[in-house]
Amino acid sequence: MSDKPVIVDADDLIAGYLPGISILNGCTMQVKEGELIGIIGPNGAGKSTFLKALFGLVPISAGTVTLAGEDITNMRADQLVKRGVGFVPQTNNVFPSLTIEENLEMGAYLAPKAFKKQLERVGDLFPVLMDRRSQRAGSLSGGERQMVAMARALMMDPKVLLLDEPSAGLSPVRQDETFLRTREINRTGVTVIMVEQNARRCLQICDRGYVLDQGTSAYTATGQELLKDPKVIELYLGTLGA
Amino acid sequence: MLGKLDRRVLLRAVAVFLVVAVAITVALSTGGSADAATGSAASGGGSSLLLQNLFNGIVFGLLLALASVGLSLIYGTTALSNFAHGEMVTFGAMITYFLATPQAVTFPLLPFEFKINMPFLPAVLVGIAIAVFFGWVQDKMIWSQLRRRRVGMVQQMIVSIGLSLALVNFIQWWMGGRPVRLTTSIDPRHQYGPISVGNVTLISMAIAIIALIGVAFFLQRTRLGRATRAVSDNPALASASGIKVDSIIRIVWMMAAGLAALGGILLALYQQGIGFDDGTKLLMMMFAAVTLGGLGHPYGALVGSLIIGIVAEVSTVWLAPDLKFATALFILIIVLLVRPQGILGRAERVG
Repeated sequence: MSDKPVIVDADDLIAGYLPGISILNGCTMQVKEGELIGIIGPNGAGKSTFLKALFGLVPISAGTVTLAGEDITNMRADQLVKRGVGFVPQTNNVFPSLTIEENLEMGAYLAPKAFKKQLERVGDLFPVLMDRRSQRAGSLSGGERQMVAMARALMMDPKVLLLDEPSAGLSPVRQDETFLRTREINRTGVTVIMVEQNARRCLQICDRGYVLDQGTSAYTATGQELLKDPKVIELYLGTLGA
Repeated sequence: MLGKLDRRVLLRAVAVFLVVAVAITVALSTGGSADAATGSAASGGGSSLLLQNLFNGIVFGLLLALASVGLSLIYGTTALSNFAHGEMVTFGAMITYFLATPQAVTFPLLPFEFKINMPFLPAVLVGIAIAVFFGWVQDKMIWSQLRRRRVGMVQQMIVSIGLSLALVNFIQWWMGGRPVRLTTSIDPRHQYGPISVGNVTLISMAIAIIALIGVAFFLQRTRLGRATRAVSDNPALASASGIKVDSIIRIVWMMAAGLAALGGILLALYQQGIGFDDGTKLLMMMFAAVTLGGLGHPYGALVGSLIIGIVAEVSTVWLAPDLKFATALFILIIVLLVRPQGILGRAERVG
């Protein structure tokens, strides 16, 4: 993996929702093509803020983000989508009054000509959704919505997928499904950066994990190493057992 | 693509109309018997009067719908309750009068008068085009600026109240306090069974229906329309999907202004004249219609408008005409007590 080029490079980010109050105080992260990265950390560490800052949803006051060498700091969402970044928010991540198919169409909004082709490709990943394509997304369960949300973000065939706590609010079985599916998506060549509360499961499937603490990236190591790291165990995992 | 959503909406609309129809039939039969019992001079006139008022209600409802659909789209995509929407209705009619009248016209503070005297149909088209442009200007100069600076919704609403006052006073300054007539020709009424109606009204109805079907087609069958519904559902996610939310909102403002102007022109033809504050008076009915149908639901505005129009007009059979809007608002309260989300509004599943 180490021979692959860097695709996302966040350097010393300082960002926050309000001017003068920064939540990220110098976050640095380097992600290589095809990696599956998990970001863990305690509540309020700035995990979601970091992901939103990458996607231009939280203003970055200092530091830079590059995508395959191009500066994308504070870039507008539609520009990022065009450049191959997909984002799945934690909550409110579907259009409830639109049907599943319309949700996916909105995912491919910037590339309407590729819609049919992408629908087939994404449909293969989520066959359940294709069977119910004319159902309104607002009538779906949390797990089904999560699928629609991921599928929507994949419709532009992104190079990088940002997932904000994809397992939040799901039952353990659905959580497992979500993690496995994330891994599956990653195997198709998509670089995935995910923020997770469920640190243990997340680290089990990740190539590499980042631990965030008080708005800074404290340290990084492979998922397996972090799982065995005594400090991580003490702070975030609780016990050594699986 | 159409599928379940449409069918459900249609079913609900049909159900609502059936209930209204039954209610009217019941009212009709009791009204008729009351006539028979009293043996009054109006005996037998009860049902035809009722049908005539029902028809008038549908006409008024359709015109109201033209105005409210835009209000509802603006609310849906920006969460703004636009109090200046009534003036958009007046403005459309006034600008058309300004272009079409054979009399000399002028602008406030302009020291001379001039005649434009355009033929009526081109005047209508140019009038609507100017209104659409006015919608564009409004969003460009005011609303998009306020959104970009993250001004709160209540503050924006108060701005719209201020704009409403400014516009209604400007229109009065411009056009004077007396109602103006768009055409001087008299529209002879024809009798169709119990209903008497003029050709202009029939054409107005047809235009309103075509325009409303056009809006529905846009929202349901075009990519831009579906994106509009997506913005209405979840602007943040629409933006994260690459939809340019601000451009969609700009289009919504232009559409809303154009529809309101069309509504105003047709209203001016229907009631044979329009005063500087007619749109302002209509605003409360527009809000009522939008709320009744289901806030932010574009078809809700249509259903709500028809009910408000029919209730207002039919109530005059029994109640004083001054009370007709009060009756319509009373129905609003009743419906919201039974169905808090409005007739077509949906309670969303959580989680």
